[in-house]
Amino acid sequence: MASITDLRAGLATQLATITGLRTTTETPDTINPPIAIVNVANVNYDKSFARGLDEYNFVVTLIVGRVGERSAQKLLDSYVSTTGNPSVKLAIELDRTLGGKCDTLRVTDMRNYGSLVIGEVTYLAAEFNVIVYAK
Amino acid sequence: MAKFIVTATAVKIGSTNVSDSVASATLELTSADVDVTDFSSNGWTEVIGGLKSGTLSLDIHADNGVGAITTILNPLLGTIATVTIAPNGTVGSSTNPIYTVPVLVNSFSPVAGAVGDLSTFSVSFPTSGSVSFATAGTV
Repeated sequence: MASITDLRAGLATQLATITGLRTTTETPDTINPPIAIVNVANVNYDKSFARGLDEYNFVVTLIVGRVGERSAQKLLDSYVSTTGNPSVKLAIELDRTLGGKCDTLRVTDMRNYGSLVIGEVTYLAAEFNVIVYAK
Repeated sequence: MAKFIVTATAVKIGSTNVSDSVASATLELTSADVDVTDFSSNGWTEVIGGLKSGTLSLDIHADNGVGAITTILNPLLGTIATVTIAPNGTVGSSTNPIYTVPVLVNSFSPVAGAVGDLSTFSVSFPTSGSVSFATAGTV
């Protein structure tokens, strides 16, 4: 039976296979892009009897750099793509059990591609939704 | 006795507890109604109970692992299987009766689902023979 902490760490491990991408499971005080932050959005318990399955919905926030940087959008595009080493979907789904921590998972969609203000800095970022099924 | 929320229905197929692969379970038991209306029925129909029958319906999370539910059902197609089921946990009691249900595995869908969905399928097996229930024992 996996904990949210285990699943979050498993997702971060998969994201760390992307060359040059920093990962964290806790929202950092300072942003040092490119960085992927893994957070849980919601959990739907009791998808089967006897505590057999829960549904976890995670959000991976990927921050690439200041919104004005010419290279930032190009870099974020590469993370959003579905092929190649920078692909977030590909990296996460490379191990759909997160090393045996879950039954299966899927990166379902990307949303909120655009600027993200943290402190007094405006970054370029995107969010990836990941659905994880685990006991 | 108290009302309860359905989270712990226990389901066993043969000797294997498959509860953690089942999302919904319904055991419906019925009796045919046989008309015995006659001239002394005072203008009302009268019926008596006839043959009993039943249907066991399950919503299942597909799993093709060794000893998992899809693997269990595969060789049972076309045969009578014994399903043991209790509404609220594995331990039988007066408030959690255990039903022993012989069913004909006449249809199931080992491949099912749309892209992106969790693979699930539903079955609806007719009972075959008598259904019994006990207020002791375990599923």
